[in-house]
Amino acid sequence: MSSLFRGEEMQLCQIYFKSEVAYSCVSQLGEMGIVQFKDLNENVNAFQRKFVNEVRRCEEIERKLRYIEKEAVKEEVELDEADQTCDAPKPKDMITLEAKIDQLEHDLVEVNTNKDALRKNYLELIELKHILVKATQFFEEADNFSIYNRPETHEYETEDEHVTLLMSERNRSPFAIGFLAGIMNRDKVSSFELMLWRFCRGNVFLKTADLTELVEDVTTNTLQAKTVFIIFFQGEQLKNKCKKICDGFKATIYPCPETLKERREMLNGVSMRLDELKTVLDQSLNLRRSILVNAAQSIKTWFAQVHKMKAIYHTLNMFSHDQKSIIAECWAPKSEINRIREILDLETKKIDMNFQTIVHFITSKEAPPTFNRVDKFTSGFQNIVNAYGVPSYREINPTPFYAITFPFLFGVMFGDAGHGLLMLLAAGYLIKKENYLKKAIKGNEIFELFFGGRYIMFLMAVFSIYAGFLYNDFFSKSTNIFGSKWKVTLGKDFPFEDIQQFTLNPDPYANETYKMYSGTPYPFGIDPVWQLATNKITFTNGLKMKFSVIIGIMQMVFGLVIGLKNHLFFRRKISILFEFIPQIIFISLIFVYLCLMIFIKWIKYAGTDDKLTGACAPNILLELINMFFLKDGTVTVVDGEKKYDECKRLYPGQHHIQMVFVIVAVMCVPVMLFTKPLLKLREHNKRIKYGSRFRGHVNPLSVNGHSSDEDDKHDKAERMGHTSNSVIDLEDDADLENEEHFEFGEVFVEQTIHTIEYFLGCVSHTASYLRLWALSLAHAELSEVLWTMLFKMGLNMAPPVGAFVMFFIFSAWGVITIGILCVMEGLSAFLHALRLHWVEFQSKFYKGEGYEFMPFSFEKILNEAELAE
Amino acid sequence: MFLDVLFNIDNGYLEGLVRGFKSGILKNQDYINLVQCETLEDLKLHLQTTDYGNFLANEPSPLTVSVIDDKIREKYVLEFQHLRNHAVKPLSKFLDYITYSYMIDNIVLLITGHLHQRSVQELLPKCHPLGMFEQMGAITVADTSASLYNAILIDTPLAPYFIDCISEHDLDELNIEIMRNTLYKAYIEDFYNFCKELGGPTGEVMCELLAFEADRRAFMITINSLGVDLPKDERSKLYPRCGKLYPDGLNQLSKAEEYDQVKMIAESYADYRPLFENVGTNPGDKTIEDKFFEQEVKMNLNAFMRQFGFGVFYSFLKLKEQENRNIIWIAECVAQKHRTRIDNYIPIM
Repeated sequence: MSSLFRGEEMQLCQIYFKSEVAYSCVSQLGEMGIVQFKDLNENVNAFQRKFVNEVRRCEEIERKLRYIEKEAVKEEVELDEADQTCDAPKPKDMITLEAKIDQLEHDLVEVNTNKDALRKNYLELIELKHILVKATQFFEEADNFSIYNRPETHEYETEDEHVTLLMSERNRSPFAIGFLAGIMNRDKVSSFELMLWRFCRGNVFLKTADLTELVEDVTTNTLQAKTVFIIFFQGEQLKNKCKKICDGFKATIYPCPETLKERREMLNGVSMRLDELKTVLDQSLNLRRSILVNAAQSIKTWFAQVHKMKAIYHTLNMFSHDQKSIIAECWAPKSEINRIREILDLETKKIDMNFQTIVHFITSKEAPPTFNRVDKFTSGFQNIVNAYGVPSYREINPTPFYAITFPFLFGVMFGDAGHGLLMLLAAGYLIKKENYLKKAIKGNEIFELFFGGRYIMFLMAVFSIYAGFLYNDFFSKSTNIFGSKWKVTLGKDFPFEDIQQFTLNPDPYANETYKMYSGTPYPFGIDPVWQLATNKITFTNGLKMKFSVIIGIMQMVFGLVIGLKNHLFFRRKISILFEFIPQIIFISLIFVYLCLMIFIKWIKYAGTDDKLTGACAPNILLELINMFFLKDGTVTVVDGEKKYDECKRLYPGQHHIQMVFVIVAVMCVPVMLFTKPLLKLREHNKRIKYGSRFRGHVNPLSVNGHSSDEDDKHDKAERMGHTSNSVIDLEDDADLENEEHFEFGEVFVEQTIHTIEYFLGCVSHTASYLRLWALSLAHAELSEVLWTMLFKMGLNMAPPVGAFVMFFIFSAWGVITIGILCVMEGLSAFLHALRLHWVEFQSKFYKGEGYEFMPFSFEKILNEAELAE
Repeated sequence: MFLDVLFNIDNGYLEGLVRGFKSGILKNQDYINLVQCETLEDLKLHLQTTDYGNFLANEPSPLTVSVIDDKIREKYVLEFQHLRNHAVKPLSKFLDYITYSYMIDNIVLLITGHLHQRSVQELLPKCHPLGMFEQMGAITVADTSASLYNAILIDTPLAPYFIDCISEHDLDELNIEIMRNTLYKAYIEDFYNFCKELGGPTGEVMCELLAFEADRRAFMITINSLGVDLPKDERSKLYPRCGKLYPDGLNQLSKAEEYDQVKMIAESYADYRPLFENVGTNPGDKTIEDKFFEQEVKMNLNAFMRQFGFGVFYSFLKLKEQENRNIIWIAECVAQKHRTRIDNYIPIM
């Protein structure tokens, strides 16, 4: 049976491993990804579980790998893609892997410490160089200044050895003027200056110079704006204070010689040492790079391996452990059980021929998970269904129906072939490039949303084009592909100028002059002649409105039929007799009949008969209201006198038939309301009377709240396919007591709600489907307004100017068409289609109380890990 | 007037955020699990399953308690700074007020450290990151409180609190302690008035909390100074005057000479009487500090019952601090294999 139509049959299994083989078996199961393990140690803390040390070791390896990876990324080394197919390493190989990575990390750390020390040295020397250069500038400026001011008092000793102003002053004065030179972050300079001034009471002189280029900071290794400063002061005390302040502001002070000559020498020395250091540093950087390049080849693969290992140990932690064996419980699809057995046998035999891994079937009251196999096409639709609620176990999954009805309803609302075409192009691009895009957009949530729905979008676009041609809308314009079937046959003599409007004659059998309709309808969709008609909107409104109702009622009846399929499958006899039958009778007699009336009206008032004109045709809405009030729609009372209007009668005997319909329909309500709860009560009383005779097996299917207990019991054995010899009965008395809990009030209230919801829902849901018309009207009108208000303006202009204006108008038109008509309207139509499916369609049959099957799969785990990075 | 209606315009997002942060605070079950840990690695493993997530994932083993401490602090400091960066007046001012207390602690830490001949570079990492300010590094230059004020604190928001403790005395331990308490006194009173001015739920919640804080300080100062040579009038100057003890209780406290007298005074206040009951120093007994902490936790949790006020921000930080203390306590007990007193944490329920 197709698993998309109904979730797969699941089986709760118990697997007995020998301790030695559990690891490799779990590893193989992880590669397959078809079993979901249950946590048997829920009450045990994470750190008290059996394999906590192994998990910890994995985490330690991960940490080291992360470190290596970070370094590699910093070094801009290309990382090779992971080989995701590699098996998880065996426990004994784990030690080698651990040692390998350990060694690598150790090497790297060593190289790094070496490099950092060198680098620190290097950066300090650069800072020193800056200081020396700047300090020389300071003193030269001071020199020039002094020459300019006091040329005669100053003496130069020799030409080549300058003695600075300060030097000379220092020689004379009793208090030595000293200075400190250093470098600090530029953002702190002003508060540094302030603090200096305050502490030294203005007795120091600070000179600063900003470095033009950014300098790498010694401690943080980031580029920062720095400032060189020199503080001049008198006396030791001030010197100490200044030093402390520098300390506090993290300014680095470098020794700076006092004479120019010494400074020059030092500068030379520094430059030389810088060159030397550079070569050494380059060497160590090269070494580091070669280590990283080596590692880069396998980092990702190692990551994958460690992730797999960790996942295996996490899974093993969920099992219960004996001295020699390990017991696991898991859900698996029935169809895969043989494969699982084979794999387990194979793995076990590989390790020891004498071991055996046993798979038992067990039963449990717990509801099985729902497993629908999806592919890239169906997954989008399944996601929409799951967003409402995961299907209950073995319930009919609406996804296959969604695949057509969803895009179809969207198309009805979005009906414009031009806009559909744009959407088709977008969806086509996403599909064509899907392999490339899948990787490129990882992590971009909004785009992933669109990307995940690319096949939905594709179908939606196709149906929009289809509906667009039906409506004959192509960017709000009509196409005349097959040639209109209408023509104006009046001659040139006809005084067209004198009349405002002119009605075309719909009679195909009229004489030659008045034969305006050829007699055969336009082959596909609406005749383009309507584009010219003044009553176009009235016409399309009537048409679309009726279509909406017809489509809606069709879908709801279809939903009921799916409900019937569900009841049949779960053998809920009571539900079929007293729920489905009244429901289908009610909807047929009133709403399907409504559709019939629509068709009768279309056929009968075709415009060919003079007596049956559109003007006297009955209003379907009024007809429905009259029907509910048991009134004859053809009768009008004027002055106490009854008047019959034959024109309004759809078919003979209409009034009487309608009366019968309404009465029968209303009688369905109490049938649905009372029967089921009363039957349940009777059954319950019977059970109490006969005591444990009715205690049967506990049925996993009983999650379906409305299934009657009696029904459930029969189907259990066959449905679940339990063979009696492998069934281990896990029921205990507590479960049974639970099952016997029955409260008539509760059941009745639930049934009341259910009943009211359905009968009122039929009316409101039918009305709700009118949104199909409303949205398509809004869309058509909006695009038409855009055309006439914007595009036509440009087209109306004279050639030379018009061409330029058109250039701009077209861009505006294009932007609005895509932004508002395609994207915004598309989203809104999507939303409404979603609502129609979730509420109007699914309420007829869908429970959605299941939970998803989450198999233990390496593929999924690795994907998640990659996303988390 | 403080209009509740308009509260969310500026502060709704942050309030939501802080409530979210608060829901990540460890529950009782978490503590029960933590207490069962046998090594720090176990502790790390369990914390991974809580809101702390992978905060220790990149730390090489073996773990030490101080690493855990740093990382926990880093986490809530980040959260607080995120709140602060998104805040506008008056919430931003309110949050700044909260950080002042950390500044006071940092200043005292630096000066005390300097007295013990520690270098600034060694002390700075120990300072609380919320109380950092630019001129901090230069604090050790100051040797008297006057120069401390004139050169450094004058630029910080703490300047007005400092006026009362300017003196030309050299800084010694007693002086520093007095300075800390004077600063705190001025700070709490100022904060109290600020909250009162804000009014509304902020005022109601915060005044309650700050009054409690003030009274706790008063009790603690009294108890700690019982054997110390501190003149009575000096002592009374240190009491913050915005709590419920003011004025009668403080008056009596300043005269107290024995522990029993303090207890007598507390007897007459319904809020504080239960705190002094069943207090002892024997193992298994709760200390008076713990009792006050417990009460504080309770009050901070109550602050979250109120909407449209800033109290939650203050309470969040206090609760996080308490959680930090709890985890560190447990971690220390685990690390030192000293399990008898491991249950002495204060659960946040």
